[in-house]
Amino acid sequence: MANAPKTAERTTKNYLTALREAHFEEMERNPDMICLGEDIGILGGAFTITDGLQAKYGKDRVVDMPISEAAIVGVGCGAALNGKTVVCEMQFIDFISCGFDQIVNMTATYHYRTAGEVAIPMVIRGPAGAYGGGALYHSQMNEAWFANSPGLKVVCPSCPTDAKGLLKSAIRDPNPVIFYEIKQLYRDRKIEEDLHSGDDALAPLGKAKVVREGADVTLVTYGQSVWHCMEAAANLEQEGYSAEVIDLRTLVPLDSDTIIESLRKTNRIVAVNEAPMTCGFAGEILARISQDAFELLDAPPMRVTRLDTPVPWVDPLELFVLPSPAKITEAALRVCKF
Amino acid sequence: MSQSSVSGAYHDKLTPEDHIEILNQLYLARYFDVRLSKEKRKGRLTGTLYSSFNQEAIIVGSLFGLKPTDWISPIHRDMPAFFLKDCRAGWRNEDRMGMSIKQVCAQVWGKVDSPGRARDNWSHIGSKSKRIIHSTSMLAGTIPVAAGVVYADRLDGGDAVALTYNGEGSTAQGVFHEAINFAAVHKLPVITIIENNQWAFGTPIELEVPTKDVADRAKGYGIPGLIADGQNVLDVYDKVMQAVDWARAGKGPSIVECKSYRAYGHGDHDDDRAAKYRGKEEVKLGRSRDPIRIYKQLLVEKGILSAKDAKKHAAEGKSAMEITDQDFPPVVVDYMTEGVEFAIKSNLPEPEEGGMWVFREDA
Repeated sequence: MANAPKTAERTTKNYLTALREAHFEEMERNPDMICLGEDIGILGGAFTITDGLQAKYGKDRVVDMPISEAAIVGVGCGAALNGKTVVCEMQFIDFISCGFDQIVNMTATYHYRTAGEVAIPMVIRGPAGAYGGGALYHSQMNEAWFANSPGLKVVCPSCPTDAKGLLKSAIRDPNPVIFYEIKQLYRDRKIEEDLHSGDDALAPLGKAKVVREGADVTLVTYGQSVWHCMEAAANLEQEGYSAEVIDLRTLVPLDSDTIIESLRKTNRIVAVNEAPMTCGFAGEILARISQDAFELLDAPPMRVTRLDTPVPWVDPLELFVLPSPAKITEAALRVCKF
Repeated sequence: MSQSSVSGAYHDKLTPEDHIEILNQLYLARYFDVRLSKEKRKGRLTGTLYSSFNQEAIIVGSLFGLKPTDWISPIHRDMPAFFLKDCRAGWRNEDRMGMSIKQVCAQVWGKVDSPGRARDNWSHIGSKSKRIIHSTSMLAGTIPVAAGVVYADRLDGGDAVALTYNGEGSTAQGVFHEAINFAAVHKLPVITIIENNQWAFGTPIELEVPTKDVADRAKGYGIPGLIADGQNVLDVYDKVMQAVDWARAGKGPSIVECKSYRAYGHGDHDDDRAAKYRGKEEVKLGRSRDPIRIYKQLLVEKGILSAKDAKKHAAEGKSAMEITDQDFPPVVVDYMTEGVEFAIKSNLPEPEEGGMWVFREDA
């Protein structure tokens, strides 16, 4: 039946599958890599990201940890100190606060306080973000805590290609990396992509990506807000303004060059983060722009963020406090019309 | 607690030379403490000192039977552990799996020759190559790290054990539970030494621990909880070796509580206040069982030390202020003096180093 017509096969893959592939490929590539987390082995992870991983690589390398985030991080730090590459899963990134001391005081500072003798190759990853009715403790974006803790890289992909490429790079990085996965994008069919394998799939840490070119205003963000900015850009087009959208992808180290390059064109900027406003990362972006590229600005820089509240549960409450395409559009229009 | 343990499964196998080495290590630990106080009083040293005076037997007894390849994680009251680790390989042997006295003194003085180049203070040093885990100020924080270290070692086919030092107060930390629970689930060779000196800074043990013995914490993990007389170096040695053999046989972690008493303040900044928040009688009783005196008596009983030799040096039964260099064997004074002179001559780090080594760059 060599000439029989093939049925159309979907080859694109979702964000979650991209993360799973990164795990399998890096476990295969590096026999010294181990994974620690709650329910990641027998169950295959709360979201199935590590589904099949323990069956393939054994329970010594894919460890079902007790409900002990401080031990997950601390044990991971010790294993990394003694030669392993470690991926720690936080079942929800909200739970990372239970391991906070082991992250910011033990792990993040290890290279610094040993004057470079020790490096800790470790990724702490987990599902993050709101817009799903997850309520206060299953909706957080707490990246600012870690961006404010020297010694940690902070990464947040917005699409399957970057989810895979950045996770693979984070695992190969000799430093601890906090890796924010957007759980609302895990199974989003609209953003599915064809994925590369092996080294071809790598995406560099510390490099932002212009995801939409434009001339009138720069929208800078990361994670779920990238898609909100894209929607806002479409709205702005209706109003006659062309918006450039930058996906930072990595917060630490921050690719300021790409932002400034964009500002040379647009001279206007709106920074967006899903986290609360005060000391949020959008504020950091605006501070740097104000300091380093003030002369490029034709309008006051603006930010769109969550209100300074927790993330409440039910729809009307949740959407009230969070950024949205409409709020971003409104802010961008003010900047454009200034 | 017995005054002495004349016979024990492990220490019976020690040779007379071992015993003299142990005695010298006890002297060295105490002299380190006394000498630093003197240097500070002379104005040649600044910064807070955390004394291990009266607790030396815990450090010496717990380290003496370890293999060079074993890991340790000392904390603030264990400074001598950094240079006593693998001391049996020769104090001045630079290849031994412990730090030199010069390195440790350079750290105390905050000089660039410290293993951590003076980036964090006092006991916050370590060495991956010498298998010493670097602690932070957050107590019990190295127990999970130690568990991870031996987890990795076991994956690689090693037989290393990890010995972590903690005060009785740090057993109230959440991470203490998380780490020992994990180690017990996986039968990891992690030994948690509890230096029970009765006081956590200004808080007495009864406000930190609800049971009579801290070792009772072990019951919840189904692991051995051993109790040693922390003033008797051979009892500490026996109990720790029991835990080490248990761990190396793959049977899992243990807690070893060493009962002792903190002779002075939490740090030397606290000496005056400690004299007030603790009763005079209590302090007198707590200091009455000097580990050096107890050990010398044992050695005389065993015929390893003559009564005359036992009197030659008298670092025991005196306060840190009363003790002089003549109270220690010259080998001890000379070794420590090398460290002190080296540290004083060593340079401060260049200021720019403050901005270095946030990230490993060779990605």
